[in-house]
Amino acid sequence: MENQPHALLLKFPGTNCDAETARALEAAGFSAEVVPITRIDEAQLERAQLVVLSGGFSYGDYVMAGRLAQLETERKLGDALTAFRDRGGYLLGICNGFQILTKLGLLPDGSLIHNTSGRFICRWVELEKRGVDNPFLGGLPDTFELPIAHAEGRFVAPGDAPDRYLAEGLVALTYGSDVNGSSCAIAGLSDSTGRVLGLMPHPERFLWKSHHYDPDWESPDGEWGMGYYMFKSIHDTIAA
Amino acid sequence: MATLTAEVTGNFDTRGDAKELVYAPLDAPAEFRRTRVYQLEYEGAEADAEAFVRRVLVDAFAEEVHFGGSPALGGYTFYLDYGMKPGALDLEREAILASYRGARNKSIEIASLKLIQRIYLFADGGLEPGRFIRDVCNPAIHVWDVTPARTTGAA
Repeated sequence: MENQPHALLLKFPGTNCDAETARALEAAGFSAEVVPITRIDEAQLERAQLVVLSGGFSYGDYVMAGRLAQLETERKLGDALTAFRDRGGYLLGICNGFQILTKLGLLPDGSLIHNTSGRFICRWVELEKRGVDNPFLGGLPDTFELPIAHAEGRFVAPGDAPDRYLAEGLVALTYGSDVNGSSCAIAGLSDSTGRVLGLMPHPERFLWKSHHYDPDWESPDGEWGMGYYMFKSIHDTIAA
Repeated sequence: MATLTAEVTGNFDTRGDAKELVYAPLDAPAEFRRTRVYQLEYEGAEADAEAFVRRVLVDAFAEEVHFGGSPALGGYTFYLDYGMKPGALDLEREAILASYRGARNKSIEIASLKLIQRIYLFADGGLEPGRFIRDVCNPAIHVWDVTPARTTGAA
């Protein structure tokens, strides 16, 4: 299809949400390509408008979630992802992808550490949209639900940085309640350009209405789940 | 060949209830904290080895590293160190070493890397290490060591 936006999904050993994320991107209108990190080169980035780091447990979450993926990405691509963003590309990190983007320094300073409960959390959560003009969130209502599944999702940052991120509009999403101990209940964070988004919830797991735990849940259009509107929002931004 | 010992503590970690570590209730209240210890044998400059630890094994925003080998925390009743048996496949160690082997501009040569999980136990009264060893460690794959607080008082 002419002018169809192209999404490139980076896959690390242990990434396990790439297939459903690719399917969600295709449902929203992207052409999607999953590329193992060992095979990535900068020329492939040239063809993409969106780079996605999907969820999973890259390198077994060894040392800390995202660290070895960060080192491998830096070794393979250097600062090519930063250059990709600077020339207008978009980056999306979901769950483990959020952790990797944070480690790569593509998002504001901070880390995603073990939940305060010390346990893996797998449940649905209510989210509040904070990023008013965020290109990933345009089609979403002010509050909506998505599933989460993580052990290291508690966002922390030095000093009063989380409050500052909130005041500066860098916080894209917050949890409706204290889910994992995140500072300022941060669930998703954007960079200052707005073209990089990292979030702990999994939009690809709520692609269709039938993914919702409540069979009577009503989709705005009768077919899609809330995750679809996130992928559709960034598709429409890029395609415009 | 030089040796570097690094203990990594979480800046946002707090003590947890030690009953989370064991299968049956404890006789008296106790608390715990986890840290990670890395023992690195290397050839090269000490500053470069410390830089490797800081860059690869420590989170700049959420963790601190303590070099030198003495316990990073004080006031404990004892601490339990456990890790993979020598010769057993330690996938985390192998992943770290594989990542380092692939790195450009290596400033040190790593001869060996040992990963140790450390659990500090805190209790007002006495605390028997045996049940923590039994419920935390797996004798099929782990080796362990218990270090009581020094009688002169821990650091």
